[in-house]
Amino acid sequence: MAVRVNPKLIDDLEYYGAQDVIKCYHCGNCSAACPFSKEPFVFPRRSMRYLQMGLEQRLKGTLEPWLCYYCGECSEECPRGAEPGETMMSMRRWLTAQYDFTGMADIFYRSWKAELWAVLIVALLTGIGLLLYGFNWGGGNLSIYDGPQAFLPSSAIHTFDWIMGGFLLVLLYFNSLRMWYFVMKEQRVPKIKLSIYIKKLYVLFLHFFTQKRYSECERKRPWILHLVLMFSYLTMLILIMLFLRQVQDGPAIDWRVHVFGYLAAIGLITTVILAIRGRLKKTDPYHKHSHESDWMFLILLVIVSVTGVLQHVLHRVGLYAPANIMYVLHMMGVVPMLVLEVPFSKWAHLAYRTFAMYFSELEVEALKQQAKAQQPIDAARQVPQAA
Amino acid sequence: MEEQLKIGVYVCNCGTNIAKVVNVEEVAESLGKMDGVVVARSYKYMCSNPGQEMIVNDIKNLGLNRVVVAACSPRMHEPTFRKALENAGINPYFLEMANIREQCSWVHDDPIEATEKARVLTSAAVNRVQYHEPLEKRSVPMCPATLVLGGGVAGLAVALELGDAGQQVYLVERENRLGGNVARVDLTAPYLDSARDLLTEFITRANQNPKITVMLESKLVELGGYVGNFQARVEDAQGDVLELAVGSVVVCTGYKEFDASRIKSLAYGWLPNVITSFELEDMIRKGKILTNEGKVPQYVSLIHCVGSRSLEYHPYCSRVCCMTALKFANEVKSAIPNSYVSDLYIDMHAFGKGCEDFYRKSSEVKTMFLMYEKNHPPRIREAGPDDDCGMFIWVKEQLSGEEIEIPSDLVVLMVGMEPREDSESVAHLVNISRDKHGWFIESHPKLDPVATTTDGVFIAGACSSPKDIPDTVAQARAAAARILAKIAKGEIWADAIYAEVDEDLCSGCRMCNELCPYTAVEYDKATKRSHVIYAMCKACGACVAACPSGAIKARHFTDQQIFAQIEGVLPWHLNHVS
Repeated sequence: MAVRVNPKLIDDLEYYGAQDVIKCYHCGNCSAACPFSKEPFVFPRRSMRYLQMGLEQRLKGTLEPWLCYYCGECSEECPRGAEPGETMMSMRRWLTAQYDFTGMADIFYRSWKAELWAVLIVALLTGIGLLLYGFNWGGGNLSIYDGPQAFLPSSAIHTFDWIMGGFLLVLLYFNSLRMWYFVMKEQRVPKIKLSIYIKKLYVLFLHFFTQKRYSECERKRPWILHLVLMFSYLTMLILIMLFLRQVQDGPAIDWRVHVFGYLAAIGLITTVILAIRGRLKKTDPYHKHSHESDWMFLILLVIVSVTGVLQHVLHRVGLYAPANIMYVLHMMGVVPMLVLEVPFSKWAHLAYRTFAMYFSELEVEALKQQAKAQQPIDAARQVPQAA
Repeated sequence: MEEQLKIGVYVCNCGTNIAKVVNVEEVAESLGKMDGVVVARSYKYMCSNPGQEMIVNDIKNLGLNRVVVAACSPRMHEPTFRKALENAGINPYFLEMANIREQCSWVHDDPIEATEKARVLTSAAVNRVQYHEPLEKRSVPMCPATLVLGGGVAGLAVALELGDAGQQVYLVERENRLGGNVARVDLTAPYLDSARDLLTEFITRANQNPKITVMLESKLVELGGYVGNFQARVEDAQGDVLELAVGSVVVCTGYKEFDASRIKSLAYGWLPNVITSFELEDMIRKGKILTNEGKVPQYVSLIHCVGSRSLEYHPYCSRVCCMTALKFANEVKSAIPNSYVSDLYIDMHAFGKGCEDFYRKSSEVKTMFLMYEKNHPPRIREAGPDDDCGMFIWVKEQLSGEEIEIPSDLVVLMVGMEPREDSESVAHLVNISRDKHGWFIESHPKLDPVATTTDGVFIAGACSSPKDIPDTVAQARAAAARILAKIAKGEIWADAIYAEVDEDLCSGCRMCNELCPYTAVEYDKATKRSHVIYAMCKACGACVAACPSGAIKARHFTDQQIFAQIEGVLPWHLNHVS
């Protein structure tokens, strides 16, 4: 069955940051330069070709963009300046939009103005909501920060956080399910048995917590920084989701909570500053091109970090009314950042990348089993080198 | 022979090429004992200046009147030694060479037997040279006028080059306009110059040049004579036949495009929006690219190699279509900015100057390049009512390995070049050969690309094989240069070696007329005898062997000379020596 070509796809990907893909003439230098490009996942060349040809259906079901960590070797080796690394990046954005059943991701990637409006609206709603809550159902007094009489009692915030977390998980769950459906529909390997799914389950955790594959890139620095950033987030997430009551019930907070909080804040701020500096200087290949969504993410991070630190300082020095206001501002950054970035934008990769590692290992394992079942001569030819 | 024979024999060592196998001293010594041999020497390099001087001095001092050089093949150095004889003051045809390198030392390794063979070959040459006759080269006058067939870019370039040099040119064109196929083209690749501009300059200059006689709607009906002295009969628009005396003929009859309807899977002639490259040129020249329904096409597809590079149709590459397709991609994109152009190729042949650059630029205007395999040509089908395009092209794409369907509103078939229908009759008229496809054959594909096997008849441009404009113009000017060189000499020197008919013996059977590959034998109706036009004869000997009356003699290859040589190699003769 012939695949229908969509000549418009390549124009469409421009919204997602693909610029020079048309220049590619398929020499394959990129795939040769990439340390991860191995059968059955040979990239970036194959994805570049799918994109050039507008094979939307094939591209939708490919895992390859997620297997790339954008070290930039391919773009540096490209003799035509076709920027394969950035093209893979743009395909990840496009895939994020394809997986998202709400269509929001698609709108945000296509128009930074729409994304900005969404951020502003969610921020405003959050601000108004928190103030209304504080004055009507909360403590009612802006100058009380701690304890059950606080303007915004931590128990209420905690409940709100869990609701929001649950909402995000549901979105990610459905989108990841769509990802699985697209990938398996295009899969050209035999049906993957349930036993393989179970056998390879550990991959999800391994890759989520270590980004082991990222560490195999030639450049180690991006992996280390990413790991610092991720663990800082994770620390913050654990602190907020599990210990928020202790943090806000203060003023006598356990010092261990403080130590973790400070370390995470330092980690976040440092990596964000380095990322902004990198994107401005454009010396590293993976920082050369910045999509509007990349900036939006960094700006939100800066707002969240700065307001978070200020809020904490104001609280510690006893300026409770400003601390409360700063906290509302902090939430006006946190909520849009989480609600918009996690399911619909850059942050979604936390799920998709992890699942891609998992799905790819499933495919490799299925091929291995298939080869084992066939003639030994055939097996020698078909066994892919395990990733 | 009244004069006493004085033969000199010179055996060359050729460095070690001959001497390492053949005992050259022994050969020289043995030959020295033959009747009539005055001197026999061996030398390291006979073709070197000291070697030649040795021969010249011996001729002068010893009064030699025949020379035998036993060395390499005569192909390279026979002219060298003939020149030496001429310098020494004797007729150059008193030379005979024995090939003891290619035919002896290079192919044998037994020194004794090889030496014996060298001795036999050389003694045969000695035997033959006794019967050599003094021959003189002859010349015929060169008529400076030239007949150019075809008024396309090739014909125009030849005519202008000759006309500008002040020589008379008759430019004969079948159609009622000059410009040929280039006149059907809008822009040219890779620099996107206007073809009209290129031609207008050529045509204006040709029309203004008093030395160029442009004859439209005319054709050559008969060509007689030979190099330097052709008589052409040209029929003009009114049906009048003009007799023209010309010294050279240049065939610039060009090509015609492949008939795309021969390939059924491309649906040409059946789906109205499948058109040929020339039909798109026509649209572009008229200023509007539209589908048959009068709509602006959104998806335009270009299919390369239609009729070319296929075993079924033409196996050769038509050379201009790849760059023309890229030109179309650029033209379509600039005419319809929001159109999508797909380019289906087998291999992108971007060999010309500026072409690779043009290829890169064309990919930057977002042409979708799709590679198909020679044996899997694209198939075109109509789209359904719900599709946003008129047709689909099925193709097995090579770079992705996918079978795909490309939406199209307008499909442009890049039709290749093929010989014109009249190429056979033209070839017959001017006596040149055609290859299996029907293209005219050049004298040598690399070293003599514009000459033909018939002296004085040249070919230029796409009549000999598909060519682009730069190659065509280069060939045209090369042909003009060859003609100007002949005109500058004023006469044509024929080699002294040619066939002669003894008209007393000739029965007028005309067998030789048909046989001669160079049409050098002419039948005289008045005397009922055949005679050889020596300016055209290449001394191949076909007529000599065929003549039932034994009336034809090849100069320098007389029966006597050849029999003497054969006798020379026979053993009884060798025993007879000394």
